[in-house]
Amino acid sequence: MVVFSSFKIAFKALKQAALVAAVLLHGPVFSAPMESAHDLMARMAKASRELSYSGVFTYEYRGNLTSVKLMHQVREGKIYERLLHMDGTQRDVVSRTDSVDCVRTGDMLLRGNAYKINNENYSRLEDFYEFHIKGDGRIANRHVSMVHVLPKDKYRYGYVVAIDKESGLLLQSILMSHTGKPLERFQFVDVNIGESSAGIDLQLKGDEFGAVDQANCIQVSRKIDALKSMWHMDWLPPGFVLASHQSPDAQGQEAMMFTDGLAVFSVFIDSVQGTVLPPIDAKLGATVAVLTKADINGHQYAICVVGEIPRGTASQVASAISLAP
Amino acid sequence: MSDHKERLEESLSALMDGEATEMETHRLLKAVAEDPKLRGQWTRYHMASSTIKGEPATTSIDYSAAISAAIDQEPAHRRSAITVFAGSAGRFAIAASVALVAVFGVQQLNSPLDTASPVSEFAGLETPVENSGPAIQFPSGFQPSINARTVSVGGNNKSSQRAVPVLEVNQQVQQQVKQQYSEAEMRAYLNNIMSKHSSHAALNSNQGMMPFARLSETESKAENKTGSAAVSKSIGEASSDKE
Repeated sequence: MVVFSSFKIAFKALKQAALVAAVLLHGPVFSAPMESAHDLMARMAKASRELSYSGVFTYEYRGNLTSVKLMHQVREGKIYERLLHMDGTQRDVVSRTDSVDCVRTGDMLLRGNAYKINNENYSRLEDFYEFHIKGDGRIANRHVSMVHVLPKDKYRYGYVVAIDKESGLLLQSILMSHTGKPLERFQFVDVNIGESSAGIDLQLKGDEFGAVDQANCIQVSRKIDALKSMWHMDWLPPGFVLASHQSPDAQGQEAMMFTDGLAVFSVFIDSVQGTVLPPIDAKLGATVAVLTKADINGHQYAICVVGEIPRGTASQVASAISLAP
Repeated sequence: MSDHKERLEESLSALMDGEATEMETHRLLKAVAEDPKLRGQWTRYHMASSTIKGEPATTSIDYSAAISAAIDQEPAHRRSAITVFAGSAGRFAIAASVALVAVFGVQQLNSPLDTASPVSEFAGLETPVENSGPAIQFPSGFQPSINARTVSVGGNNKSSQRAVPVLEVNQQVQQQVKQQYSEAEMRAYLNNIMSKHSSHAALNSNQGMMPFARLSETESKAENKTGSAAVSKSIGEASSDKE
């Protein structure tokens, strides 16, 4: 009897030990899906730049469909990209090269880093979007994780993205309106991932690839210098930060580009070109273009905001541009 | 007896509606276990309910007999201490996976995007254009309509046979302006900024090169004039005027 009860106690202790072991063993399994939505996005931002891949993707909006062949090769710290439109009239191949190390504002935000607006304020992607993992799917014969990206305000759109489970590559991206309607969709139909995937002829001289501007790479300062601009943005949709700035070119056009990590819009200010045009409110697929005129000190300026953002946001931005004091 | 049966049937429909009391449920479970007729009725109720709701009718396969048979065939085994550990660990694993499902469940809640299947809705997409600007003189090729002017980038009308990307231009001018510009100028200007924006976006969004796909056919044609590899050239210019 005594032997039996002591066995029972020992047995109880063992049972508890097993439970503790089970908790320890299962711990990581718990935490993985919790953070993965955000991790997935960060991995995606890295993968789309640092991996070599090629394939064909489709672009669709409002019943229009085009297909595009894409090649993305990383060699010796440089990215070589080619893009060929597969339908319609024969068009030039877009070729460009970029440094792998050049991290830009959009990349950085997407990788989960905060952007320092000034000493007190930071801009972070998760302040403006919610990320939800929506289970698994299959795109271009690959297993993907579906992620819904919901905007927290009306100034930006949402996305449905499919991210390759193995590589982290973005295989589908659907821009969604506030009412849950798709505005445009990019989707790979076929993709090869890895070094050997030469989809479009890469036997080109290096100079056939136009070099991408390296001036907007983010270094230690993590801030793009816009002090040279004579223009001031009185209002920006929250979360959007300056990603690049081009001083007026030969045609008198100054350009600024803003991003919140996912959505992008550009602001063009013309002092010559475009000033004869009437105010424009145009739409091409999911892209809006709002052109307003400004008469400042007897000078005519055309201010144009272009981007995949709601029309209201674009016109609000356009009307909030003034001459810097 | 028939009174008893009637009461059981009543309880059964109450259970279907989620309104059975605990006692009724207990009684029902006992009765269902013994009465194959009642089991059949339970199945029929569910099928009828599915049909009404428009759900696909589930085939009425009764797994219970097969399952009990399988259990009967299992050799009875004594529970050793090890199997008890395994059992409790296993139970915990189940609890863990339930928690996992709960986490997923929470993540899947509250998404307005759920209501729409994103892929199948492109056809029905036609956003109304709200504009109340007065009439204005349009260069040839523009199609004036009551609320909005629609012009395709290629100079083709929207009704053209080929699926050319359509650029909607919506004029918002408060007074009659004298026509200082040509249609071509406007098109060229929009194409130009569109192309610049796309190459910007391709560097700073999550989509890599994909934004280049937004460029319509005629834009690259327009760029042919400036030389080959027009987009990369404009990128090159960007780097030269920097600093």
